[in-house]
Amino acid sequence: MGGKKNTIDRKMDDCKEFTKEKHAKYFLRCLNALPSSLVSLDSIRLSISFFAISGLDVLGRLDLLDKHKEEYINWIYLFQILPNCNDECLERCGFRGSLAATFSLENQDTSCVGNVRNKGSISSHPLDTSHITMTYAAINTLLILGDDLGRIQRKGILAGVKALQLENGSFAATLEGSESDVRFVYCACCICYILQDWSAINIEKATHYIVNSISYDGAIGQDRNQEGHAGLTFCGIAALSLMGTLETSLSLNQKAKLVRWLVSRQQSGFQGRPNKLPVDTCYSFWVPATLKILGAHQFIDRKSNRKFVLDTQCNIIGGLSKWIDHSSDPLHSYLGLAGLSVCEETDLVEIIHPALNVTKRAFEHWQKLVND
Amino acid sequence: MADKELKESPTDSSDECSDQEPSYIFYRDRPEWNDIVPVELHEGPFPVVAIAYSDRFKDIFNYFRAIVLKNEISERAFQLTSDALELNPANYTVWQYRRTVLKGLEKNIQKELSFVRTIIEDHPKNYQVWHHRRVLVEWSGDPSSELRLTEIVLAQDAKNYHAWQHRQWVLETFKLFDHELEFVERLLEDDIRNNSAWNQRYFVVKQTSGFTEDIINRELTFTVNSIKIVCNNESAWNYLRGILSHCPTGLNGHPIVEELCQFLDYNKSEAPFYFSFLVDRMEEMMQSDPLKREVLLPKADQVLQLLATKMDPIRREYWLFLSRYLNSQFAN
Repeated sequence: MGGKKNTIDRKMDDCKEFTKEKHAKYFLRCLNALPSSLVSLDSIRLSISFFAISGLDVLGRLDLLDKHKEEYINWIYLFQILPNCNDECLERCGFRGSLAATFSLENQDTSCVGNVRNKGSISSHPLDTSHITMTYAAINTLLILGDDLGRIQRKGILAGVKALQLENGSFAATLEGSESDVRFVYCACCICYILQDWSAINIEKATHYIVNSISYDGAIGQDRNQEGHAGLTFCGIAALSLMGTLETSLSLNQKAKLVRWLVSRQQSGFQGRPNKLPVDTCYSFWVPATLKILGAHQFIDRKSNRKFVLDTQCNIIGGLSKWIDHSSDPLHSYLGLAGLSVCEETDLVEIIHPALNVTKRAFEHWQKLVND
Repeated sequence: MADKELKESPTDSSDECSDQEPSYIFYRDRPEWNDIVPVELHEGPFPVVAIAYSDRFKDIFNYFRAIVLKNEISERAFQLTSDALELNPANYTVWQYRRTVLKGLEKNIQKELSFVRTIIEDHPKNYQVWHHRRVLVEWSGDPSSELRLTEIVLAQDAKNYHAWQHRQWVLETFKLFDHELEFVERLLEDDIRNNSAWNQRYFVVKQTSGFTEDIINRELTFTVNSIKIVCNNESAWNYLRGILSHCPTGLNGHPIVEELCQFLDYNKSEAPFYFSFLVDRMEEMMQSDPLKREVLLPKADQVLQLLATKMDPIRREYWLFLSRYLNSQFAN
């Protein structure tokens, strides 16, 4: 009904209208509830909360959470695994992803659930361990919400991160039963950067692992010999930048080759690999953010990217989708908007810190915490 | 509309069709499970990103938590993990527990390989299923089904990253490279722009023969023939550069490459990837031979201006930057 007319209008318009308030409502809905069809996101709910809350921050509408800010913060801390009184099993600490091996979260210490004293709970089982991406997402989200990270169990979290680094320098996501690759190196680096403590990472090995994952075409793959991929390239370059080894670990030639590879990803929006089509909204963040870290984002055709990102908006329920005329999801909604803000200074969205993937406002809150 | 959705109870999903399958009996109603007290999940008064779990999902995971926390290694626990994975194959804890049970009961690995194969076919981009597959192959030491499986998955999606990663691991671990180059060539015949297949080609050469002079010549010939068919193919040009990085002549001077450039020149090719290759050749030459700068710099600049304004305007700022850079490096 009226769909046909809309399509025609859209084609005639230079850019689709930016429906900011619809996107804010979309993120609020994600925070409230997800339909049962998205049950496969069950073990990464903290990531989804990060996309939605950081998404509101990028939209400049974090005020919509003001009324329940404390509840959001308390809910995140529920997922923290605490060291027990003898500091045994420190390596399990961090934030949980799956609750499949967890005793009921709220029954562990009834005296402090749901209020400011809630800090998390002790691991219920050897499989009740942290997931490094969830630890990263939790800490970032807490910063965005203005928390002082006072309930973060630094000792446990750092032990948890340390236990996940492998001999070859890469990181696994969990203590048992996980693949290991550059995605988790990136998460480890964000955690250590925010906590300002690098004792949990062997920087030399992690750097070596990343540089070793550079493909013959100049981009970074999931592992040695794997195809170069824009998302993994972001993880690798952002990790090097956070560790402070970006300048020393890549030659000028390697950097030039990588910049060429990255700018070649732009078609209108961006693709993730050479010859891979159609373009996908999430690469509007991964590619420009990597270029920005390398000081080369001025090479992007901003107008083309903006047009593509705006074309992926869903004007009915809000949010952005992976491809034009598909359904929106939290990840692509967030990364599409974050990508707009990396590419240019615009009045549409707030500015993003490219390596940490939080707004400049949240980053400044972190700086203030560190300086105090 | 949004307000209404916000108020809906996240757990209200009684109309979920999966709960109504006549054959499904809830664990809580199964007599053989009445010795287990299910562990329900409570997240306090303010759950965020609450998923509207179906009753069946809640039932299965309540019993799953109970079984794990009591460390039960049994046939029924094994069945329970199958049910849990059917509902959420992305739950890494369930897979890990399943492996514990598989080991504990000394289950048949071949049967398990078939089980995970079905799930891979339904969820070919799920990290956990591929990880499970790899662990099983590590346990059994038998890679005999893996090339076939990845071939089937790649027939559906020739760029599936997980399938390529698994295939590379199998090839490298069990040294199964014998027919891999033929496989890659078949895929490139289907799609000459398949970057994953080009990457695999590089991987095979690197892990088998290495880059000897003969192999370099063979690979350059293969790539040059491909570029002559489809000139503006980034994957092929990247591969060509990858091979040339093992070649002492660099981008200039190898007869096969010189012949390609003459061919493309003669055919007046204006492919951006050819033009950027020409610029890089000129840069290399200006670097090694200062006497050539005066002639080559204006030529390189001309190509870059064409790229910026005519052939590849989306990368205009980049090509203009390169032009300024070359001028700053090589102008007198």
